[in-house]
Amino acid sequence: MPEFSNRFFEKLAGQRLSYRQYDDVRLAKKGIVLEQNKEPALSGAIRLFCSPEMLEKEMEDRRPEDDTITIAKKAGIIEENTGQSLYLLLEKARDAGCKLIVADALDDEPYISSQLAPAMQMSEQLVRGLRLAAEAVGAEGLRIEVYKELGEIKTQIGQELDGIPIQRVGYGYPADNSLVTQHREERAVVFGAGALIHLARAVDRGLQQTTAFVTVAGNGVAESANVEVSLDKTLGELLREFGLLEDTTRIVIGGSMRGFTVTNLDGTRITPLTRGVLALREAFKDYNFTCIGCGRCASVCPVGLAPYYIYKFVQAGRYNMLGNFDIDLCIDCGTCSYICPAKLNISAEISRGKREMLNYMMSRQKKEQGKEEEA
Amino acid sequence: MNLMNSRPPHIRSRESNFSIMGDMVIALLPLYFMAYFFYGNHVAVLGAVSVIVCVLLDVACTFLSRRRVGILDLSPVVTGLLIPLMLPASVELYVIIVADLFAIGVVKQPFGGLGQNIFNPAVAGVAFVALTWKTQVFSYPVPIQSLGAPAARLVASPAASLKMGATPNYGVMDLIFGNYPGPMGATGILILITCLIYLVVRRTINGKTTLAFMGTATVIAFLFPRITTGRLESVLYELTSGVLFFGAIFLINEPTTAPKAEPPRLFYAALSGAVVMLFRYVGAFEEGMFFAMILMNAFSWLMDMKYEERKSRERRARYEDTAETV
Repeated sequence: MPEFSNRFFEKLAGQRLSYRQYDDVRLAKKGIVLEQNKEPALSGAIRLFCSPEMLEKEMEDRRPEDDTITIAKKAGIIEENTGQSLYLLLEKARDAGCKLIVADALDDEPYISSQLAPAMQMSEQLVRGLRLAAEAVGAEGLRIEVYKELGEIKTQIGQELDGIPIQRVGYGYPADNSLVTQHREERAVVFGAGALIHLARAVDRGLQQTTAFVTVAGNGVAESANVEVSLDKTLGELLREFGLLEDTTRIVIGGSMRGFTVTNLDGTRITPLTRGVLALREAFKDYNFTCIGCGRCASVCPVGLAPYYIYKFVQAGRYNMLGNFDIDLCIDCGTCSYICPAKLNISAEISRGKREMLNYMMSRQKKEQGKEEEA
Repeated sequence: MNLMNSRPPHIRSRESNFSIMGDMVIALLPLYFMAYFFYGNHVAVLGAVSVIVCVLLDVACTFLSRRRVGILDLSPVVTGLLIPLMLPASVELYVIIVADLFAIGVVKQPFGGLGQNIFNPAVAGVAFVALTWKTQVFSYPVPIQSLGAPAARLVASPAASLKMGATPNYGVMDLIFGNYPGPMGATGILILITCLIYLVVRRTINGKTTLAFMGTATVIAFLFPRITTGRLESVLYELTSGVLFFGAIFLINEPTTAPKAEPPRLFYAALSGAVVMLFRYVGAFEEGMFFAMILMNAFSWLMDMKYEERKSRERRARYEDTAETV
């Protein structure tokens, strides 16, 4: 681990750590417009790929006096954006006095439409889930958020859904980042569209969450579609169902911007957090380009950092130079890597640097605490 | 099936180093056609030799420093094309070769090659030969008249007339089409404007930087004319003489040596405009572009660091505000 200067450490430990707890507050409303490739998955019907024993599985100890939050707990609903249990998020929102419930159908990453398609095709369940969540939390306002830069799509998105306004978010990718400040001002809490649909099913029909909405797309599968997959399926089963091609080189879980690759298809299960599975055929070329300092990464960074310098310092291991670069504010959106003409792994390197720096600071804090306790 | 791991993002934009450098090459070639029309075959020889020398030296240096040789990397081609365009068509071949050797062998590769150099290689190469062969670099053949034998009759350029306080006598149409003595690629204003539009539309360069540079140069030429015949004439001749307009497109926007974020880059361009005019007004040479650029290149790192420092302070203040309201 590289050595930090004392001054640098004090600066970070004294000031940054104190406001890192507010690190969900983002500053700039800025993003890039990406080619979306959402069709044909978005406008096609949602398909069901479910093992018989997982189909419409009812809750075990449902009682008539249960309120919505208890039902969410018993149904085991996981919110797909955060990965936390829905009932915990509902309780948190209730205690915080939330005023507005937002259904997240953003899907700002290319290929993915696993929130937008259910929101449009199962709109009755979504609206029901949204109303239930608002009732449980005590919020008055309701809203559905969709992404504006969807490109050419066949699906018509209206202005409202059963009286609930649909807001189009037009800042480009990453759209969720641009919204954080607005949500904070409105005292809004965001729930994924999938979790709200599962909530409606749990309350009205007493069903457990046994499925997840997944977009299967990319040029490595014969067919792109949104699928409701039961949670006992593996990636291999799902992809083979959609005609996985033999010359596929990369399988990505999640979106094409933030997702991660997997190589063991039959050992990886679908989880409630799996929002997309992409099969890509492009070989990852080694261009052997070096940074020419064009500054495009700095011009697209939604947080307004200077990825160019952070990348260089992290690569050289010169962490003591990072004092003014606020590396801890990086949100790993990957826009810098996307735009880089030298095809460098800028955002991946920045994440590595961030991790190493946090580890170092935490171990240092622990050491200091240990010393205090001894004294 | 052979699956690979890769780090996110899994899609990349179509733009690459190759496309950016390729755009620069495309924008530079029309200037060679124009120079060929004005000065004849000699121009093609200068360009070809310059490119070959730059590429060979670049590949050799990369090989010797045990880095992988990138074939798709067009940057030495761009440097090789830039150098002759900033020199008169009458210049001897060895001058160009020395400029190439200095650019790649002294200014670019010893610092670590592409992206690592502090100074613009092409500019430094030309500045070096300007100091070494002053008369050759600053006397120019007359376009069209000297077709075939560029070195037969050499004259001073409008920049030199301005330096002596005399008003150059060229018509506006001649200035627009480049029919006046000057560096072989830097005179055709119409073609340069076309190149600028091409590069801005392709988003290879940022038009604002060029505007900032030209803006300060225009303001200074308007407020402090060196000639007595009028302020507007001063602006016209200052902007069209020498490599000023050429530099506003190809030198100011050179990515490696300019600051990275947009605000410091605009500041750098605006300040460069002022420094170029200062070098022209009080410097020893008629052309201040090369020396001004080298001077400003040295400050771009400092500008970026100061800008980041300020931005970090602002961010911190905003965070503390947010923390209070939450």
